[in-house]
Amino acid sequence: MSTAPLETRASTVPSEVADRLRSIVGERNCIVESSQLRTYESDGLTSFHAMPGIVVLPASTEEVAQIVRVAREASLPIVPRGAGTGLSGGALPVPGCVLVGMSRMRSILEIDLENGWMRVQPGVINLDVSKRIGAEGYYYAPDPSSQSVCTIGGNVAENSGGAHCLKYGFTVNHVLGARIVLSDGEVVDLGGPVADAPGYDLLGVLVGSEGTLGIVTEVVLRILRKPQATRTFLATFPSTEEAGNAVSAIIAGGIVPAAIEMMDRLAIVAAKAATGVDWPDVGAVLLMDVDGPLAEVEHTSAAAIEMACAAGALEIRRPKDEDERALLWKGRRSAFAAVGRISPNYVVQDGVIPRSKIAEVLGDIETLSRESGLRIANVFHAGDGNLHPLVLYDAKVPGQEKLAEDVAGEILRVCLRFGGSITGEHGVGADKTAFMAEMFNESDLETMNRIRCAFDPQNRFNPGKVFPTPRLCGDRPGIYRPHSAELSGQADRV
Amino acid sequence: MISSRPATENDSVVGVMPKVVCLPDTVDDAASRIAESERTGESLAFIGGGTDLEIGSPPDRLDVVIRTERLDRVIEHAPSDQIITVEAGMTLTRLQSVAGAHGQRLALDPPLADRATIGGIIAANAFGPLRTRYGSVRDLIIGISIIRADGVIARGGGKVVKNVAGFDLPKLMVGSLGTLGMIATATFRLHPLPEASETLLIKNQSASDLRNLMAEMKRMQLEAAALAAITVGPRFDVAVRFEGFRTGVVDQRERLRSLIAVCELLDPVGEQRFWRRHDEIRAAGPMRLKIAALPSAIELVMRDVVPPLRGLLAAGGFIWYPKLGLGFLTGATTADQEIAAAIRKARETLALTIEAAPLGVRKLANSWGEPGAALPLMHAMKQRFDPTRRLSPGRFVGGI
Ligand SMILES: Cc1cc2nc3c(=O)[nH]c(=O)nc-3n(C[C@H](O)[C@H](O)[C@H](O)COP(=O)(O)OP(=O)(O)OC[C@H]3O[C@@H](n4cnc5c(N)ncnc54)[C@H](O)[C@@H]3O)c2cc1C
Repeated sequence: MSTAPLETRASTVPSEVADRLRSIVGERNCIVESSQLRTYESDGLTSFHAMPGIVVLPASTEEVAQIVRVAREASLPIVPRGAGTGLSGGALPVPGCVLVGMSRMRSILEIDLENGWMRVQPGVINLDVSKRIGAEGYYYAPDPSSQSVCTIGGNVAENSGGAHCLKYGFTVNHVLGARIVLSDGEVVDLGGPVADAPGYDLLGVLVGSEGTLGIVTEVVLRILRKPQATRTFLATFPSTEEAGNAVSAIIAGGIVPAAIEMMDRLAIVAAKAATGVDWPDVGAVLLMDVDGPLAEVEHTSAAAIEMACAAGALEIRRPKDEDERALLWKGRRSAFAAVGRISPNYVVQDGVIPRSKIAEVLGDIETLSRESGLRIANVFHAGDGNLHPLVLYDAKVPGQEKLAEDVAGEILRVCLRFGGSITGEHGVGADKTAFMAEMFNESDLETMNRIRCAFDPQNRFNPGKVFPTPRLCGDRPGIYRPHSAELSGQADRV
Repeated sequence: MISSRPATENDSVVGVMPKVVCLPDTVDDAASRIAESERTGESLAFIGGGTDLEIGSPPDRLDVVIRTERLDRVIEHAPSDQIITVEAGMTLTRLQSVAGAHGQRLALDPPLADRATIGGIIAANAFGPLRTRYGSVRDLIIGISIIRADGVIARGGGKVVKNVAGFDLPKLMVGSLGTLGMIATATFRLHPLPEASETLLIKNQSASDLRNLMAEMKRMQLEAAALAAITVGPRFDVAVRFEGFRTGVVDQRERLRSLIAVCELLDPVGEQRFWRRHDEIRAAGPMRLKIAALPSAIELVMRDVVPPLRGLLAAGGFIWYPKLGLGFLTGATTADQEIAAAIRKARETLALTIEAAPLGVRKLANSWGEPGAALPLMHAMKQRFDPTRRLSPGRFVGGI
């Protein structure tokens, strides 16, 4: 992890630019006051902060397009922002930028249950999608722990996951289409409710691009029929090793659980402190959901429990009712915040390893903890090997913050050594750009940059994020405008 | 030395024959041959099993074909992590036998799996009925390495199922038909082989029956692994396949039976026969049209789109995937003028791409249809990856 940029000075945009932006979104939806701008100086990664030049809150695609044109003419960088819960500094302002907030674009525009999709604006909160269609028996599958606050636009930008993505996939598997504003202010639809639009899968590239390719102003989401049944259980283990073996056995048994989450001793202590629920005093727990048709679920949950016991589970707890189930999941979902109960400060890390290496990697993390003297709590999506080590520290102790960040960085190197990834769901953002060069070589990065250049040749959107060093797009020609005869689709170029 | 030979008809791409064919033994050999083509200015196309070489428009130029058939190694199979990395020239059948030895599979089932290669399947975005439950290539691929037009090898994604580091190069390559680079290796997420699998056949369904069936199955929370409807005249034979643990499969089967009396449980022979018939229709030619519409549009599709086209096609058939909203019309035709006119008419109602056709039809109808507003962005992507337009120029959407 790099040290936080200390740029906190307000560098406001020229007043004529501010005036033009005001005329687009209205006086009330333009923020230039430095005290108010401060609200936007960080995202969920609060160790990084920088002041935007101006914050604009558009209400429509057309307003976004106009904002982009004004910013482009004024050569100002643009940073899109959803709810600001991102944990990698993706929505961190570039000093002096035009920050485009999505908080006024919160409408659900269209729902088509028969064909299984919904069209929403990007500022819609993740959980509100499922709430809107829940009564009819449908839901939206990706469920980041932050789902009650984060936005669909942010989810699209980060390709967010959640506990249930082991079976159901990530945001990218549930986004059917998007309307985006490009860096020249053009509006383009990628994909849509009808499958397999001809051409490159630019939608697949957009999802997870961390606000660097365009501003998403509408999203078509896949919505699913709720499964007939869900079974949840909590298994306790003497240590993470037995818990890890249980995960491997369950997966090897041909079961694809909807979710398997692991928490180690320290994370359990924190969850207990935060929720007041009587979490067991053990070395590790697994929280597992199996869902699908009832008969299948009865079978797989029984089989999974048997395997957990064979792997050394001490106790199996089954929630009595929906409330108790919700409470267990709440304990898991609030695990990051819970750690605040046992430590004044902590770094949330996000790395991925091959699932079969859980025990070895946790061993290495423990060594890092011992050597540094910092406690590390582990909460993670065990089914897909997505670790969230929480490195605890006290910012009042000189040097400890830096040490914690170093340790968190070393954990990523451990992940890479085992063939994993530097991020499973939180993104690269401003935080992990340096690690991109450890995961990918120069050719890989230069190739990814070509994608960037095809969309945004001037680096207008979210510059400085994702890539380790600033990259220009070279003097390759700009966007190709085909001849009108080609577009008319009358004949091939035979 | 990379072995090469003069081209034959079988090396043609959308009817265009190259001058020479290269058969690299390694990815590095392929990369150096591609780097050489950058110096000489030769135009290239890549061929795997040759099962989908008719997709797209005829390339404007084609000097060299690189055949990937010798790039057929397993690079890594980690059964406990349920991932596999293979070279692009491996056939799907081979991959399935490697994974199958550990009780796993790649949940992709396009036709002609014994010939279709992994690279070709990715490049053509090929799929079969399992897409109903498991999605398409983009939902299963987790990593890729490509050889760019300048011969440079680049990687994207990785070998863990969850990974958001960097841009999604694997997805960009899906369906790109070799116009952005050559797919060298790919990594996939695998799934456990199901303990049990059963297919139920519901015969003689009208388009509105089919629509009701889908609604009822959804209401009952039945989860099919595969769904396909094949036309017999104006009506459908609908196959529903359940997979999973035996108890679950039996339960779902019985619940479906309680819904529809006329539903027939196929024995293993009957099951095989049905899915073979499905594959045969999918692979029939020389005409193959792919249509895409919302699933609820099936009545309209069966009223306005299918009859005029079917009327001009001999043999083959029409397959519709009711949950995906995708269908294929295949068969033989001699009425080039009429079919081209029917294609243009159909495009007033829905999206239609020509995936295979005699040259006569291609001259009269665009292979891709209306490219849409994202075309300039696609051209920009092509320009960044293949600035000198040497990779199957003109084959892709909008003349890319
Ligand atoms: C307690 C907690 C738990 C979390 N749990 C999870 C989890 O389980 N899984 C997970 O994946 N993440 C998790 N996160 C991370 C975070 O919530 C997600 O990354 C989320 O998707 C961010 O959404 P947001 O609306 O807050 O976006 P922001 O943080 O505002 O922005 C995120 C990125 O999206 C871009 N962006 C936002 N809107 C748009 C738009 N309309 N167009 C283009 N780009 C845009 C921004 O520029 C930025 O790069 C968690 C965070 C917290 C604080």
